[in-house]
Amino acid sequence: MKIVTVCGMGFGTSLMVKMSIDDILKELGKQADTQAMDMGSVKGLDADLFVTSKEMESSFPEVDAPVIYLDNMTNKAEIKEKVIPFLNR
Amino acid sequence: MLDFLIQLITTPAVMLGLVALVGLLIQRKNAADVTKGTLKTILGVLILTAGSGVIVQYLEPFATIFTQGFQLTGVVPFDEAVIGALSEKVPEIARNGSLILALGFVTNIILARFSPYKYIFLTGHMLWIMSGALAWAFYDLGYSTVQAVLWGSMIQGLACVLFPALAQPIMRKITGSSEIGYGHFTTAGVVLSAGVGKLVGNPKKSSEDMKMPKSLEFFKDTAVSISFVMVLIYLISVLMAGPEFMKTISNGQNWIVFAIVQGLGFTAGVLILLQGVRMFLGEIVPAFRGIAQKLVPGATPALDCPVVFAFAPNALIIGFLSSIVGMVIGMLVSRTFGEIVPLPSIIGGFFTGGIAGIFGNALGGRRGAIVSGVIYGLVLTIPVALFFPLYGLETYGVTGIALLLSDALIVLSGVKLLDSLHILPIAVPLAIVAVIALGWIRPNKKQGKSESV
Repeated sequence: MKIVTVCGMGFGTSLMVKMSIDDILKELGKQADTQAMDMGSVKGLDADLFVTSKEMESSFPEVDAPVIYLDNMTNKAEIKEKVIPFLNR
Repeated sequence: MLDFLIQLITTPAVMLGLVALVGLLIQRKNAADVTKGTLKTILGVLILTAGSGVIVQYLEPFATIFTQGFQLTGVVPFDEAVIGALSEKVPEIARNGSLILALGFVTNIILARFSPYKYIFLTGHMLWIMSGALAWAFYDLGYSTVQAVLWGSMIQGLACVLFPALAQPIMRKITGSSEIGYGHFTTAGVVLSAGVGKLVGNPKKSSEDMKMPKSLEFFKDTAVSISFVMVLIYLISVLMAGPEFMKTISNGQNWIVFAIVQGLGFTAGVLILLQGVRMFLGEIVPAFRGIAQKLVPGATPALDCPVVFAFAPNALIIGFLSSIVGMVIGMLVSRTFGEIVPLPSIIGGFFTGGIAGIFGNALGGRRGAIVSGVIYGLVLTIPVALFFPLYGLETYGVTGIALLLSDALIVLSGVKLLDSLHILPIAVPLAIVAVIALGWIRPNKKQGKSESV
């Protein structure tokens, strides 16, 4: 499984979220390939899940995978709540 | 053999790769992840360097055009380019800078472990700029390598905990917790600007309560915003220089075409640089975090500007636009007292002008954001003009660029001041002791910790 976290530049918030998801995966004992990415490079990218912030919703490009929008990208509890159901699918 | 090892380790790209390697090994990552993380860190730094090369290539003719057009020496404030060029011209600066970067990070961890300021500074390119600037200052003052690295890494470590501490009260207001810190050496400038914004604004009227016009949202894309402003700046300068003069520069190319291509070429360089930064940070930040988690429990990572952007996107755009206004005013003011005129730094305007807007909004609402942005625009220009003659970049054959970061200017001036008073070898260790002693004097007052856990 490939999870891509996205923010405007691809190394600020997206990286934080990527690391939080890595921690969650470790806690659950699950394996997934995670990667932080900038908005401009998302189009045409092959992934199973995209995670980004609510703020990006209006300008997020069309992708072939589900997109999770976070209200607060630094809130680990929110990331857990929204990402875990997907991991358990 | 020893020479081979020293050369290998003191190549900045390889050295940062080694830091990533250590961090990944501490986390017991598997061989594939360790190899990938180390290699991509090194490649990221090399791409970043290539990007600065492209930027400099497109800036060189621009400096000539600007001088001709305005009968002024225009400089582009761009820190990566300054440190890159200095490292290329003087191998000793490159080598000492790498050592200061590595040992400064160790000092940072020690200070975070034993002082009340629990910040681990993770913004890689800022660390690189500060350590390069310190290596340059000590080289300029004639210090030996041992002394330069010793004092330099101590100062680097202090800067890594003290500047984030300065910004943390505002960061707490913005993010609602103490989970992240502001790790960017523009802290003094943005905090000062936000403070002025606070005086005139009302924090209850937040910029986030109003709707920004959709038509301005495309400025969020750095490629668009930088292209837009750079092409405009090139066009104005080319116009001022006149078509006749332009023929000598552009090899007969039409001057408007020339201006557009140059402006876009500059942007392309920035995009290459950012791609390198992205790859480099994407690997080294998680690796760094591994080191920090093991050694400094309860540490707050101090991170780059973009981590705050999502908290106040309107304030970001307000800060960006108003800082450009401030920079133009600053240009006009700089003209009145010196030959050197700092050109608007579009990268600085977007990233850190945006932060000034977000900080200003936190303290003084939307009016605070506007005022903070304009003041920050002045901070991005006037000190550059004031401090430029102090360091004599031209003596190293580096022209047309200048150092911009407010914290770096403060630290470098502090080094020059302490050196001229002959108290640097006493003052720097004393500062380290004082910062650690604070933790013993006030053991019960743990700053903001209770909120974050």
